[in-house]
Amino acid sequence: IETARIFDFEEFPVRDRVTYMYYTGRLEVYNENFPAADHKLSYALTHCNSRKGANMRMILKYLVPVKLSIGVLPRASLLESYGLTEYSDIVLSLRRGDLRLLRHALLEHEDRFLRSGVYLVLEKLELQVYQRLLKKIHLIQKEKDPNKAHQIKLDVIVKAMKWLQMDMDIDEVECIMSILIYKNLVKGYFAHKSKVVVLSKQDPFPKLNGKPVSS
Amino acid sequence: EAKEEGKEVTQQWEDDWDDDDVNDDFSLQLRKELESNKDKN
Repeated sequence: IETARIFDFEEFPVRDRVTYMYYTGRLEVYNENFPAADHKLSYALTHCNSRKGANMRMILKYLVPVKLSIGVLPRASLLESYGLTEYSDIVLSLRRGDLRLLRHALLEHEDRFLRSGVYLVLEKLELQVYQRLLKKIHLIQKEKDPNKAHQIKLDVIVKAMKWLQMDMDIDEVECIMSILIYKNLVKGYFAHKSKVVVLSKQDPFPKLNGKPVSS
Repeated sequence: EAKEEGKEVTQQWEDDWDDDDVNDDFSLQLRKELESNKDKN
């Protein structure tokens, strides 16, 4: 540890640097330190010999869930060329706001995700999927009546959930909405008596911009 | 050369995907669902 301080990291052979960043990056994934994991695994990926497809794949297996957790999506071509299509439906569920698809994809590849240790990371994407769904409901309301679109009735959300085969009552939906507001995925407040979420008129659905959902 | 390809990989990410488009199949179905529910109430 002492000697490590004397050497400049960049002086080490590139393959050792890649290996080091891969393993310490994985460690950051387990510690749920996603910005650091992103930095280390991205370094490993860009410095990895691209002819070593299997190594690229190993790095991406961890980098993809890390990127998802900070709101960045891989293009379909990336997943296809490295045989990581187990992530395809998860990406699609984020794009759509499709909670049913997220649950289904987690269940379908449960073994694989548990084995590589990214299951818990992926499970937490649920909040981002809720955010996306709420945004879609908001946009649909806006087309009909722009003046009232920033008020979303909890009833409407319950109905959307039912359609997605998520059996939730109004209290559970209210609870999830308050988590979204608390975690700054939604800007707004509750009108508890009238069972309505009132969205902020400015930037009601803040983007993560490379930062993880606050804990 | 290897580095060039490595850079290509980093361009395979989208951070600005959260668009306002509600004309995809999923959104159209969601709209239908919400509207049909309104009728029932």
